Amino acid sequence: MKEKIKQKFSLFLYHGARIALGIVFIYASYDKILHPATFAKVIYNYQILPGELVNLSAIFLPWLELIIGSLLIIGVWLPGSIFISNILLIIFFCALMYNKARGLDISCGCFSTGTDDGFHSNFNILRDFGFIVISLFLFFKVFISDSPCGRGSS
Amino acid sequence: MIFINRQIWTKTIKQVFFIALIVLVAGFASNRLRSDKMPLVEDWSAKSNLVTSSGENLEISLSEATNLFKKGEAVFIDARSMAEYDAGHIKGAISLPYKEVDWKFVEAMAGVSEESAVITYCDGETCELSMELAVFLRNAGYKNVKVLSNGWSAWKQNGLPVETGE
Repeated sequence: MKEKIKQKFSLFLYHGARIALGIVFIYASYDKILHPATFAKVIYNYQILPGELVNLSAIFLPWLELIIGSLLIIGVWLPGSIFISNILLIIFFCALMYNKARGLDISCGCFSTGTDDGFHSNFNILRDFGFIVISLFLFFKVFISDSPCGRGSS
Repeated sequence: MIFINRQIWTKTIKQVFFIALIVLVAGFASNRLRSDKMPLVEDWSAKSNLVTSSGENLEISLSEATNLFKKGEAVFIDARSMAEYDAGHIKGAISLPYKEVDWKFVEAMAGVSEESAVITYCDGETCELSMELAVFLRNAGYKNVKVLSNGWSAWKQNGLPVETGE
């Protein structure tokens, strides 16, 4: 009985995390898909990518977010989308940390293309870290754990 | 274990490939279909950022700016924060932090006629505050607005007149 509850709880956590992360990604992609030019400026301001890659990222990154967000919610191609979600979130984390270390005061561009998300950079970093924890949890579930929810999801 | 389970990694690689394919198609298609298409590769050098959406280059060279300064023919506007302005600014410059422009604009620009030459500046080649402020001022009716790129650093390095405090 106890084992059953535990399993149910774990399954609940897993699906909850998957759907929550999916919503986060879709929400993050929405404004950027609508305003790629403004998003390009945000990317440019990070001063990390070479100029040639700025527009390409602004065009494709939001779609990548939308598609892995959708896949996470629908629950198909989970290994692929969870793998990409981990990589993306870790890249975002590094970019935020890098610019924090450089003391660059720029807009995050995390959830909107506006010049100011209204949040402090520390908050953005912490928030991204939270997403990484969720994403790593899913990674663990799908790639490592032997629990039934990790298997069978194609 | 993670590296032993080869099956799931093969699956992952396949899925990543297909996701990338979908993203490529969606990105290309959406960019082609929209009215404000973006070129896939664009010149993002610091200078190209000083061109308005209508194609007008707002940049003013340091030598031109210095000339106008010496003749007293231009008003310099500091787009940086108040604290940065207090720590040091171009002599005679007015402080109008771009981030507070909405409510500081009227007071700061009270004595500046719309006809006079206005030069905005901030600090660093990629600082956008001065450009944003310039666009704002043009929209507000100022006809002769220019941007001095990397203004504060360039000004200081050339030993031109500065002052501190409010």
